[in-house]
Amino acid sequence: MSNIIRNCMYQGKNLFREGSLLFWSVIYPIILAVLFYAAFNGIMDSSLDDINIGIEESNEIFHVLEEMDFINVHIITENEVYEKLDNEEIDAFIDSNLNLTVDESGINQTIIKEVVEEIKQIIKLNRPIDGFEFFVSYVQGKNQEANSFVVIFYSLIAMVSTYGIYAGIETASLVQANLSNLGIRINVTPLKKQNFLIAGVIVSLLMNLFANTVLLLFINYILKIHLCSDLKHSAVFILLGNLFGVILGVFIGVSNKKSMSVKTLIAIVVTLLLSFLSGMMGPWIKIMIDKYIPLLARINPISIISNNLYRINLLGSTKSVGEGAVILLFYCIVLLFLSYIFLRRKNNDSL
Amino acid sequence: MTVYRYFMKIAIRNRWTIAMYVIVFFVMTVLNSSNAMKREESFVESRLNIGIIDNCNSEMSNSLKDYLKDENNIVDTVEDEDYIKEQIFLEMADAVIIIPDDFDEKVINREESVLIYKDDRKPQAIQIDNQINKFLGFANITYENGTFDLDYVNEALNESIEVHVLSSEDKFKNLGLNAWLKFYFNFTGYVIIALYVAVIGVVMSDFGDENIDNRRRISSKRFLEFNREIYLGQLTLAAAVASIFIIASILFIRENIWSVYYVKYLVNLVVFSFSILCLTFLINNITRNKYAITALSNVLSLGTSFISGVMVPQEILGEKVLVIAKFFPMYYFVKVNDSIVSSFSDVGFELFMQLLFAVAFLLIGLILSKKAQRA
Repeated sequence: MSNIIRNCMYQGKNLFREGSLLFWSVIYPIILAVLFYAAFNGIMDSSLDDINIGIEESNEIFHVLEEMDFINVHIITENEVYEKLDNEEIDAFIDSNLNLTVDESGINQTIIKEVVEEIKQIIKLNRPIDGFEFFVSYVQGKNQEANSFVVIFYSLIAMVSTYGIYAGIETASLVQANLSNLGIRINVTPLKKQNFLIAGVIVSLLMNLFANTVLLLFINYILKIHLCSDLKHSAVFILLGNLFGVILGVFIGVSNKKSMSVKTLIAIVVTLLLSFLSGMMGPWIKIMIDKYIPLLARINPISIISNNLYRINLLGSTKSVGEGAVILLFYCIVLLFLSYIFLRRKNNDSL
Repeated sequence: MTVYRYFMKIAIRNRWTIAMYVIVFFVMTVLNSSNAMKREESFVESRLNIGIIDNCNSEMSNSLKDYLKDENNIVDTVEDEDYIKEQIFLEMADAVIIIPDDFDEKVINREESVLIYKDDRKPQAIQIDNQINKFLGFANITYENGTFDLDYVNEALNESIEVHVLSSEDKFKNLGLNAWLKFYFNFTGYVIIALYVAVIGVVMSDFGDENIDNRRRISSKRFLEFNREIYLGQLTLAAAVASIFIIASILFIRENIWSVYYVKYLVNLVVFSFSILCLTFLINNITRNKYAITALSNVLSLGTSFISGVMVPQEILGEKVLVIAKFFPMYYFVKVNDSIVSSFSDVGFELFMQLLFAVAFLLIGLILSKKAQRA
């Protein structure tokens, strides 16, 4: 045990001094969070704007439209139509024959079309207009705010929680004689490799957890986006993401003889691709995957983490927590087992 | 051409790493552009994505469902509040409607007859409310002797108005195809930066080895000639990568290539590639540290993509963000892809700016390289 603690101290110092690890774990995620914030901030705060209709005062439906609370009626003449539409002051113009003039297709134009059509259809029904109860609502609404863009931030947290992958690769190279000078020295001493490995995993986990905490604090207090309302359940997935990342890093580190730069590239590509599929570069990718390849969304480790994070914190649902945690743990065990197979009884006759 | 030959040799030795990188990014590009909005060439009503759960299954509820199906796209859903809330949250559905088993009674009594999950902040919520209230209101008008005259309701609902679209010719011409090309080439811009800096960085890191660098310094190889061959090697690799994305785009749109101004995208990509190649040259002269190169590749590619309008359209981005974006060639690259042009003079400034960046990167790179040579 004391060996492991001593190794933890040495490896902790070693990893802390490694500038690139500090960059990937702490600085890079903060840069990405700032960029996401800059790009998506405006989109996330959606509010319902009134629909602007241009109409002549003499039009027979002018007063009906005035009564509708989601519509702004602008009195204009036919000569002003092109200019007002072009400047986007109005969404559509209704002429005296109850036909529409628009500049583009869109939801506002469609709503206007339906409102005007409704008036024409009531006339077609040929029933007394007072029999039609305009203000009766047959709808009981349940509000659920849509905010698919926030998925990007959860995806980022999920990706960053797996960034222990780089420390994992570093740890693996430390105990392999064909990858580092320290590995050569460790291999010729009677010291146990597994102690170094266990210490490396512990240190990598702690360092990445520290980096994740820094990122979450940054997002919460500097960017003022409150993503983690249920800390207890969120911490489970961030912890599992860290464990998965570190073990995946160890696996990449021990499973091939490629150089460190190639292994880092593999780590980048793997985490980037999995994050991309979980919606980090736009929620539409996640929605497409959920729709057409739902199995991929259920087995993609980054998706598991980000999906559970938004379900826990924004939708208040913990239904998929168990399944997600079991799958992530399964990955960790399999990768650990495979790494052990690659490492065991490995000798280097010559280097 | 010894340097060039060895540059290519190292690239070939790293072929699997390079291929993996190219394939992964290519898949990402295709997936991303497959989402390109399908715009039509005339006025199109916005169809909502709605889910319907009918627990009543009466003539009236079936008639309402048929009407809603005609007006909207139906998405699969299940009667599970968590699932429905997630569909709304992710915008997979604009609304999910649950028709209760005592639906008919409620309609006759003018009570709240259906439950709708929706985002009240969105105009789509108004639209679905309007559609349902209209249908049920019409049905109630026709209610006589214990029955609804639903055929008459449907006949009335077929009554429609005309919609005239201004300047439809230019504005709507090939919008769908242009939207796809815009998405594809914009994302290719992100990929080009990530690939060039990372892939060329991998090859260049071997040249950065201290021993090799010392040997080169004492060799008879002239500094300018060495840099020229290195640059030629980088150009070959860059051209190979860019060709994959260009050929793929042509294969995707095939004969439609003649119906859009494809040459605009092509020239823009070539100019941008050249500019990024010069940036790569500069980065490799700033640092040969492979970790720093990988870090820069990621920050620059993702960073400039997010602030320049690759991931989110430029019109949605804030003004301050766009001011910063103007200091990177990506902004001008996206601007050209996004604009509707009839000739190159329309985007001459943007192309010129990208070339200007290229020249600046190249000159600074050469100066740094010269300084390193003297050190």
